[in-house]
Amino acid sequence: MALFGKIYEWFEVRLGVKALVEKQLTGYLLPRNINFWYSMGSILLVILLVQVVTGILLLIYYVPDADKAFQSVNSIMNVVPYGWLFRLIHAIGSNMMVLFLLLHMLSVLFMGSYKSPRELNWLSGFILFNLVLAISLTGYLLPWSQLSFWATTVATNSIGAIPYAGDFLVEFLRGGKLVGPPTLGRFFAVHVALLPLAIAALIGLHLFLLERIGVSTPPFGLSDTKNRWQGNAFRYEAHPDGIPFFPNYLLQDLTSIALYFGLFFAVLSFAPTLFFTRDAFVTANPFQTPAHIKPEWYFLANYQTLKIFPSEFLGLLVQGIAMTLLAILPFLDRGSEKHPLKRPLFLVCASGGIALWIALAIWGHYS
Amino acid sequence: MQETDRRKFLGFAIGGVLVAAAGAITYPLYKYLAPRKREDARQKVVVAETDVPVGGAKFFELEGRTAVLVRKSGGALIALSAVCTHLGCVVQWQQDKEQFLCPCHGGQFTADGTVIAGPPPRPLEIIPFTVSNGSITVG
Ligand code: HEM
Ligand code: FES
Repeated sequence: MALFGKIYEWFEVRLGVKALVEKQLTGYLLPRNINFWYSMGSILLVILLVQVVTGILLLIYYVPDADKAFQSVNSIMNVVPYGWLFRLIHAIGSNMMVLFLLLHMLSVLFMGSYKSPRELNWLSGFILFNLVLAISLTGYLLPWSQLSFWATTVATNSIGAIPYAGDFLVEFLRGGKLVGPPTLGRFFAVHVALLPLAIAALIGLHLFLLERIGVSTPPFGLSDTKNRWQGNAFRYEAHPDGIPFFPNYLLQDLTSIALYFGLFFAVLSFAPTLFFTRDAFVTANPFQTPAHIKPEWYFLANYQTLKIFPSEFLGLLVQGIAMTLLAILPFLDRGSEKHPLKRPLFLVCASGGIALWIALAIWGHYS
Repeated sequence: MQETDRRKFLGFAIGGVLVAAAGAITYPLYKYLAPRKREDARQKVVVAETDVPVGGAKFFELEGRTAVLVRKSGGALIALSAVCTHLGCVVQWQQDKEQFLCPCHGGQFTADGTVIAGPPPRPLEIIPFTVSNGSITVG
């Protein structure tokens, strides 16, 4: 113990550990009415960490070569000890990442946390959302199965509907006229190097903004749920009568993470092939399109939208507009009220939007 | 009293769960990373006698390591590990001198594996073999 004390002292005089702990943990005060939904961000950080670790493990045995990729994934699943475990964790984790991103977005939406001065938190988060969708899409091709191959063909094809530049963009993205070995090379590099770096950088920004601006006050359990921001000067949003992050909210974060792992391992154990279809177990064949190729669940609404419009361009345009509106939402919605039930217009639009998204996805699934 | 008992019990329970979780991660992780037995690592290698002419050497892989067969000018056959006993480079056969030279740090061995110069501390390891019907079985 004396030795431990000496080591602590060594760091203390150099880094000011005690002051740091006070500032970041025990003295970091959060709103008294903070709730469960504020732990979504921590769950996302944990999922990301698990994705990075299992991704590095998969790199040991995965071969990014169109002739060998499918076989290498097959051998990870069937030959390498516990390879199936790490691959399933990575594949199911990617779906969980998108699911929890949606939950995180919905919670900041309904609690009005994106309102001033947190426009940049929302924007950086929105970019993160798109980067995670992109990393999921590029990762989907890597096993080089029939599912990978044709889902990527369909997804990259829709970009061709952009006027004038469309054909060029599709070819540039694929590295050829059709999806083929050159596509695997570029998707691999983007999936394992470019996007992880970009995502890490944006998370850094996202957390910096959180730290700099302060945590928002949830609009529940208060009589006045108006935004207190004045907009005339920079002010850190402090919560002087709040609860400390350590131990109070850390306990909530850990509880949420434990619940998340419960859900995660339930899927892994009882429905390991939930996110795979039969075509995921057949090696890619560029000369044979399988029947019923569908994108992953979170792209089903986009897929269905493209199908219902008479022209692909219109379908793409509508989606572009919807995404842009979502991205600039904090600049459109300037009201100071944060409680969802006191924002009828918002509530109608948001619920309608979510219902439409789910309906399109279900339609896309069964069409 | 009761309070502290409860605290202790919960502390142990949580600690136990964490230790179990750590084990449940470490074991598969170790198994995944541990080098696996190569199915193609050969326990025995058969070489045709004609592949090792007088004064010549034939290098091959045995149980995942590099080995060599040499036939001295007198006609005697020898099988040796080709892994230098200094720092593990693979020795080269010098037909003109009938010696092994390790290019890494200049170690030299006779055709029987005895050290004659340089840093290697031990002779090359001798591997048993049998000859029948014109083929040599090493290992
Ligand atoms: C990799 C993805 C993401 C990670 C790791 C992440 C992480 C976090 C963390 C740790 C927090 C603080 C605690 C909390 O409220 O949960 C936070 C807050 C926030 N996030 Fe994210 N986030 C991600 C994506 C997003 C997305 C997609 C959006 C919306 C488009 C978003 C919008 C926000 C906003 C507005 C806040 C401020 C909440 C407040 O102060 O009350 N984030 N994020
Ligand atoms: S390794 Fe052979 S002489 Fe050093």
